[in-house]
Amino acid sequence: MPTTSFLETVTVIETREVAKGTFVTKVKAPSIARNVKAGQFVMVSFPESTDPLLPRAFSVCDAFEDSVSLLYVAVGKGTRRISKLLPGDPMVFNGPLGKGFPNMSGQKTFHVVVGGSGAALIPILDRTAKSRGASINFYYGARTGSQLVKFDGVENVNHATDDGSEGFHGNVVELLKKKIDGDSSGVVFACGPTPMLVALQREVGVSVETYLSVETPMACGMGLCQGCPVRNAGDGDYYLACKDGPVFRSTEISFEMKP
Amino acid sequence: MKPELSVKLGKVELKNPLMTASGTCGYGEELSGYFDVGMIGAIVTKSLTLKPKIGNEPPRVAEVSSGMLNSIGLANIGVRRFIEEKLPLLEKLNALVIANIAAKRAEDYAELAELLAGKESVRAVELNLSCPNVKEGGMEFGTDVKALSTIVKMVRKVFGRTIIVKLTPNVTRISDFARAAEAEGADAVTVANTYVGMAIDIYTRRPKLHTVRGGLSGPAIRPLTMAKVFEVSKSVQIPVVASGGVFAWQDVVEYIIAGATAVEIGTVLFAKPDAPVEMVKGISEYLADSHFGSIAELRGSLDVNLQNVPHMNRG
Repeated sequence: MPTTSFLETVTVIETREVAKGTFVTKVKAPSIARNVKAGQFVMVSFPESTDPLLPRAFSVCDAFEDSVSLLYVAVGKGTRRISKLLPGDPMVFNGPLGKGFPNMSGQKTFHVVVGGSGAALIPILDRTAKSRGASINFYYGARTGSQLVKFDGVENVNHATDDGSEGFHGNVVELLKKKIDGDSSGVVFACGPTPMLVALQREVGVSVETYLSVETPMACGMGLCQGCPVRNAGDGDYYLACKDGPVFRSTEISFEMKP
Repeated sequence: MKPELSVKLGKVELKNPLMTASGTCGYGEELSGYFDVGMIGAIVTKSLTLKPKIGNEPPRVAEVSSGMLNSIGLANIGVRRFIEEKLPLLEKLNALVIANIAAKRAEDYAELAELLAGKESVRAVELNLSCPNVKEGGMEFGTDVKALSTIVKMVRKVFGRTIIVKLTPNVTRISDFARAAEAEGADAVTVANTYVGMAIDIYTRRPKLHTVRGGLSGPAIRPLTMAKVFEVSKSVQIPVVASGGVFAWQDVVEYIIAGATAVEIGTVLFAKPDAPVEMVKGISEYLADSHFGSIAELRGSLDVNLQNVPHMNRG
């Protein structure tokens, strides 16, 4: 039962293009801002609109005082429309939804692996780690350097690019493996494209405690439609990404959707 | 004076004509964080089967122009777990519960109805004879008049309360099926389930749903279903429950003018889980402003000359 979710009409504070085609939109959303945990998401819709029809799921990028930020690559109908909203324009947010990442403690080192719009989790995880005194490292992959977003005040970000234009030349999973170098004492958090999650699950998840935030088509975000199944690695039954996830222990799930 | 919003489906009285569409509200309790589920006419559950079903492989949902394709595959916890775990929650929330049931065999529909007959709080059953997304059962029964008649007859024997038959729109003449349901003692028909549809990702050249085809819902289908609600309401005496693409209170009013007694809302809940609250208010204000004392006065009030309607079966 969604006791801590709110259906909130929010207003845009500002939108910035933070890298090529990537935007951060900050909105005033007091109830959600006060209750969201890193890894939880919101369903975003437009009032009085049936096109786009369904709300869109976004991981919360940051939450501070009354405001919530979303980071996204403007590729579809919904994201392009959000990127063009002006300060004061309304949207409807439903959230915070789902289960976020487990609580971070000061005893362990956290390795956060992100790709594409999965970078949305960098600010909120950094803020959470700092508040809990946990040590955190980021591994952030993109095709090319111009797609990488720079986050003010966030340290320990290691970049990887496919074309070698910035940071490590190669994919971000290889970069992580190189950095941790067989040390399995830390905890890995990840959010990004499914092929990246599959590689992490196979190559890191077996030896290091790993949590993956999965990406899957979703219609409602609340368990109403049962449209977002994620295969349970044990009994073959399905979890729902919206209610049981979107963050899962890597050993709990098996990927079946073609990336 | 406040207009009378209550309507009757067989023996059960709903406090207003709004119902949730099966498969769009989980088991009802998921919505309770967004509005008081006791204020809506009825909560219609996810389709229940005798044994739990895990449903289809993903992707199960895709958005299309003003619509949504789904192929969930009747994923549900099974009727027994529903009775043990979910029904008590719905009772506590004061919801009027209608159980939607689906099966592979005619006798399984009867078994499901018999199990639910033992639960007084299940005020009606809605027979899903129209699921487009499973290999056996579902729509196969709904596109065969004889199979439909057999199932309704068997359920009627074991279930004394209200029986609603949810019809598929994927037939040539839906009114033939509505009449068959009426003849076997159904108390109401739901018009209609989703339309078989398909969408393709042109870059991967893969279908957008794992099962390739799925059921189309949302505002895109409303005019299609409006025509069917009108047709069926002219063909049977039992109440018609409209279901298809309702997004605002005006759509509910339109269905009632076309002949519906009650109206199910579905896809809209994904974007606006509290939609029923404003809809009830909108309907009530419309009735008052237009000087209707009740839903019953508005029902079927379409100003029309039936001689102008080509291909209308007036049997």
